[in-house]
Amino acid sequence: MSSTLQKLITPLAEGPAEPPRNKVTVVGVGMVGMACAVSVLLRDLADELALVDVMEDKLKGEMMDLQHGSLFLKTPVIVADKDYAVTANSRVVVVTAGVRQQEGESRLNLVQRNVNIFKHIIPQIVKYSPNCIIIVVSNPVDVLTYVTWKLSGLPKHRVIGSGTNLDSARFRYLMAERLGIHSSSFNGWILGEHGDTSVPVWSGTNVAGVNLQKLNPEMGTDGDKENWKEAHKMVVDSAYEVIKLKGYTNWAIGLSVADLTESLVKNMNRVHPVSTMVKGMYGINDEVYLSLPCVLNSTGVCSVVNMTLTDDEIGQLKKSADTLWGIQKDLKDI
Amino acid sequence: MSTKEKLIKHVMEGEPVGSRNKVTVVGVGMVGMASAVSILLKDLCDELALVDVMEDKLKGEVMDLQHGSLFLKTHRIVGDKDYSVTAGSKVVVVTAGARQQEGESRLNLVQRNVNIFKFIIPNIVKYSPNCIMLVVSNPVDILTYVAWKLSGLPKHRVIGSGTNLDSARFRHLMAEKLKISPTSVHGWIVGEHGDSSVAVWSGVNVAGVSLQGLNPDMGTDKDKEDWKSVHKMVVDSAYEVIKLKGYTSWAIGMSVADLVESILKNLHKVHPVSTLVKGMHGVKEDVFLSVPCVLGNSGLTDVVHMTLKKSEEEQVVKSAETLWGVQKELTL
Repeated sequence: MSSTLQKLITPLAEGPAEPPRNKVTVVGVGMVGMACAVSVLLRDLADELALVDVMEDKLKGEMMDLQHGSLFLKTPVIVADKDYAVTANSRVVVVTAGVRQQEGESRLNLVQRNVNIFKHIIPQIVKYSPNCIIIVVSNPVDVLTYVTWKLSGLPKHRVIGSGTNLDSARFRYLMAERLGIHSSSFNGWILGEHGDTSVPVWSGTNVAGVNLQKLNPEMGTDGDKENWKEAHKMVVDSAYEVIKLKGYTNWAIGLSVADLTESLVKNMNRVHPVSTMVKGMYGINDEVYLSLPCVLNSTGVCSVVNMTLTDDEIGQLKKSADTLWGIQKDLKDI
Repeated sequence: MSTKEKLIKHVMEGEPVGSRNKVTVVGVGMVGMASAVSILLKDLCDELALVDVMEDKLKGEVMDLQHGSLFLKTHRIVGDKDYSVTAGSKVVVVTAGARQQEGESRLNLVQRNVNIFKFIIPNIVKYSPNCIMLVVSNPVDILTYVAWKLSGLPKHRVIGSGTNLDSARFRHLMAEKLKISPTSVHGWIVGEHGDSSVAVWSGVNVAGVSLQGLNPDMGTDKDKEDWKSVHKMVVDSAYEVIKLKGYTSWAIGMSVADLVESILKNLHKVHPVSTLVKGMHGVKEDVFLSVPCVLGNSGLTDVVHMTLKKSEEEQVVKSAETLWGVQKELTL
């Protein structure tokens, strides 16, 4: 007696199913992890999505909730497990696991707690997806991207920190709002540490190629009557503000991660400010990760754009690097 | 001259046109935000407004979305507890209200949510008298009736998200068993969005092939392959997800965006959504239930008349009676 399925469908192709070609894994199903997952799904970037976490019920619930939306999506396989075997053959692995900033807490405070979590996570990721590109999101992202690079043994072009991709997006939004235009029409880069010492490259800010600092030479300084510098301060304060209001941030970082994932998966060669290994650049001699404009494609960070920075801006980058190295050198067992 | 004036010259005279496809989401809880993000990521509106009574949470959510503007195509994202921020909306999605606790049925939430609606609905209509209202809060069929009564809007402009989600879950689960895409399995769940929903097994098909034609026991207790359990899983879905993660959000958010898309883009697509079914399938009262409806920019313009088996029609009438039993006790 043939089953309903056998009566309905006659198989034609033999052999096992093809492995996924664009699998994305998200480690951590907290608010940031799920915002990344949903952004990746709604942008049709992956043909398979895997979720991993230690909280089994929450993980299963999130997976089911996403699967129930599969009619509206173009990602046919959504899986989840606490066992990393479920992540095998990923092209991109987004790491959001770890503890997050409490109200008023700086990102650097989270360090040692998150290093300990990473010691468990990173080797598992690499075991099952030795050819993947890892995007580190957990904070403090620059330090943790360094930690990930060390723990993974992957070449540096395949370990990326989400870095100042979000800071730059916030900056472009705030500046564009003041000018009455869309964020994508305002060009401006924030580099360096994703955090309190990030560096706004005022000398590069422009709209339609018109350099803003040339229109207003005081721009970015304390002497500027129009106080454009405030936009950068608002960027630095952004996370603290949103955390104070709603308890955490997630949508903007989720969208920013999907933006990076798109460049990687679609081999786009777009330039993004992300955290990469900068030893040897701008006079930095330590193995630190900081955000610089990087060309992203399917190999990962294929190249770095040499931005023309002022001496003051280079000085700020070096200061960031020193702060980060000061923390990194004290980290245990990596 | 300011930097802005040196950079940009304003050349248009008169007032700007403003938004043409504004969507408001009332309630910035998990469902409201999942709906908002799904709508934003599908590029459906040129302005999004959020409303809630929790001011800090609301402001934080608005900021977090605005910070993602670079990656979106919705230029204006606003939020306020004052409904004036919602003025001129084409579609208003209502997610506000209490949600099911673990093990709690949707019908239990009724009176609490009716009281909240008495404040919300008149405010929505005051600022967007021409809007189409999409009710999501549970129990959705009863609350769509309540929203209709409180709003004074014509019935084609008050729609309940209904069994759009149940049908999506059903199609997903059927698709898993058949190893094909949910978009290729057609099946409709109608009636109450809840425990007494009706799976129309006689209509389930792939490429026009009726599955019940292949397996006449499908959907009954006699069926050796127990396809009926798929419908049971749909009914249990929300309780299961709530038990595991505390609430459901993503699937309902995506299902809302699916409906908003049909409305704003005037697609005339058929969706199972909750509408006034008095006079159909033997229903005699002013009850809202899900049936297949045509959605476009005027709202819910037509209803597809399903050919139901007698047992299926009886279940629909039974759903209607259950809902009317609760509705008639309400003080509006």
